[in-house]
Amino acid sequence: MPRDLAEVAHFFLPDGGEASETRARSAPRPRRDRPAALPILALPIGGRDVVRAAFAWNLTVEIARLGASATLLAPFDSDLAALWPESGAGPVGAEIVQTKARDLADLARDALDVAVARAAETDDPGIVVVRVPPDWLYAEPGGHHLLRWPLLLSTDDPRDLAETYALAKRLYALEKSARVGVTIHGVRRVADARRAFERLARVATRNLGRAPRSYGLLVDDLHVYRAIVSRRPIGLEHPQSPAARALRDVAQLILEDARVTAIA
Amino acid sequence: MVPGWRPLAEGLLGAESRIDFVGLEPDGRVVIVLVGEAGEDLEMVSLGLAQAEWVKARLGDWLQLAPELPLRSEFGVRAQLLCPSFRPQARAAARALGSARIGLATYRWVENGSKLEPLVEILLDDEEASEVEQEPAVIRQDVPQEASSSRESQPDTPRDEALPSFRSKLADEDLGLTPEELAEFE
Repeated sequence: MPRDLAEVAHFFLPDGGEASETRARSAPRPRRDRPAALPILALPIGGRDVVRAAFAWNLTVEIARLGASATLLAPFDSDLAALWPESGAGPVGAEIVQTKARDLADLARDALDVAVARAAETDDPGIVVVRVPPDWLYAEPGGHHLLRWPLLLSTDDPRDLAETYALAKRLYALEKSARVGVTIHGVRRVADARRAFERLARVATRNLGRAPRSYGLLVDDLHVYRAIVSRRPIGLEHPQSPAARALRDVAQLILEDARVTAIA
Repeated sequence: MVPGWRPLAEGLLGAESRIDFVGLEPDGRVVIVLVGEAGEDLEMVSLGLAQAEWVKARLGDWLQLAPELPLRSEFGVRAQLLCPSFRPQARAAARALGSARIGLATYRWVENGSKLEPLVEILLDDEEASEVEQEPAVIRQDVPQEASSSRESQPDTPRDEALPSFRSKLADEDLGLTPEELAEFE
C-alpha cells in the first residue's frame, strides 16, 4: 500500500526536542481519502414549517462550526426563503443553495451535483443537508436514492409521533436501504425525549421490521424563535443557550454517522 | 433457514479460517453462519464469537465499499452455529452470551423422495420459546420484511434487544429549565 512520507518519517529521524516539533509542524499532513460525494442528509420539512426549517439552517451552521463542510440545499419556497440568509456562503462557511427543483427526481440530481462538487473542494469531512417537501414523497416515483439517510424531526406529542411514524414508513417503502434518523424536539426533559423515541422505535420495529436511529433532541426555547425573526444562527448569537448546546450534540451525532455514509 | 435472511457471501476468509456464510437479517443485522461437525459444538461457540468480532471490525469498510447495503452496524454481528447436536455446556454458553450474539441450530439429513435434504431446526431457550407462542411475528428470524405491512394491529411487545438506543449527551440541566418551571408543566 503506498504510504505518505510523513507517516513513516519518525522511523528514520531522531526523536524529541524542538527539531522534531518543527519537523512535525512542517511535515505535509497525510492526505485524507476523499469521498466521491459528501453524504446527503434529507430532512422532510413542510412548506410552512418555520420551526423545523429554522432547525435545518441552524443545524447546518452548527455542523460547519464543528469544522465540516456544510451546505443546505432547498427547493425555492417563498414562505421559507425569508427564514434563511441569501443563497451563498454564510456564517462560518455554512452555505445555502436554493434550487428550482420541482420534484424529488430533480432535487436528487441537484443534491448529488452539490455533494460531488463540495467533496472535490475540500479535504474536510462534510455534509449536504437537503430540505425535502413531504408531499413530494407521495408524488410520482424517482429520485429515491436521495432518501438513503433521512432525518425526521418530531415532538413527543402522540399525534406528531404518529405522523413521524407514517413518514418513516413511507421512506422505508420508497428506499429499502433508508437509514432513517429521528430527532425529538419540544421536550422539557431528556427522559421525555428518550421515552418518545423509544415509543416510536418500538412501534416501527414491530410493524415495519426495522427501527429509526436516534439523533438526540433539540430544544425549542426562546432563542430559536429569536433566531427565526433575526435570521441569525443560534450557535453564534447565543452559543451557551440550551438550544445551541442541543444543536451541537445533534450535529456531532450526524457527523459521526456521516463518516460511514460518505460515498467512496 | 431464516425467512427474510439475505445471503451476502459464502466461504469468506475470516479470522484464520473460513466463514461459511455471511448474510443480513431483515432488520439489517449482520449474521454469520458457521457449520460444524458432530463433537465440534463447544469449539464452535468460541469460533463463532471470534469470527463475529472479526466481521464487526470490518462493517465500516464494507459500508464504504457497498453503501447501498441495508446493513445496520449498530446492531452488531450475530453468529448462527449449525451442528448435528449441541451438548448442554454449549447450550449454556450460548444462553449466557444471549441470542443477539449467538444462535444455535441443529441439522441432519433426511430422505425426501429419492434425494437427501438437510433439515435445520433452530434451538430456542425457554424465554424465546414462550415469546414465540405468545407473539410469533415479533421474533425477528420469523419476520419476512415483505410481510410486515400486515402486522400493524399487533400488541406492543417487541424484543427490546433489537431496539436502537436513544442517543444524547445532554442532561436535564442542559435544557435550561428550573425545577420550578418544570413543576408547572407536571
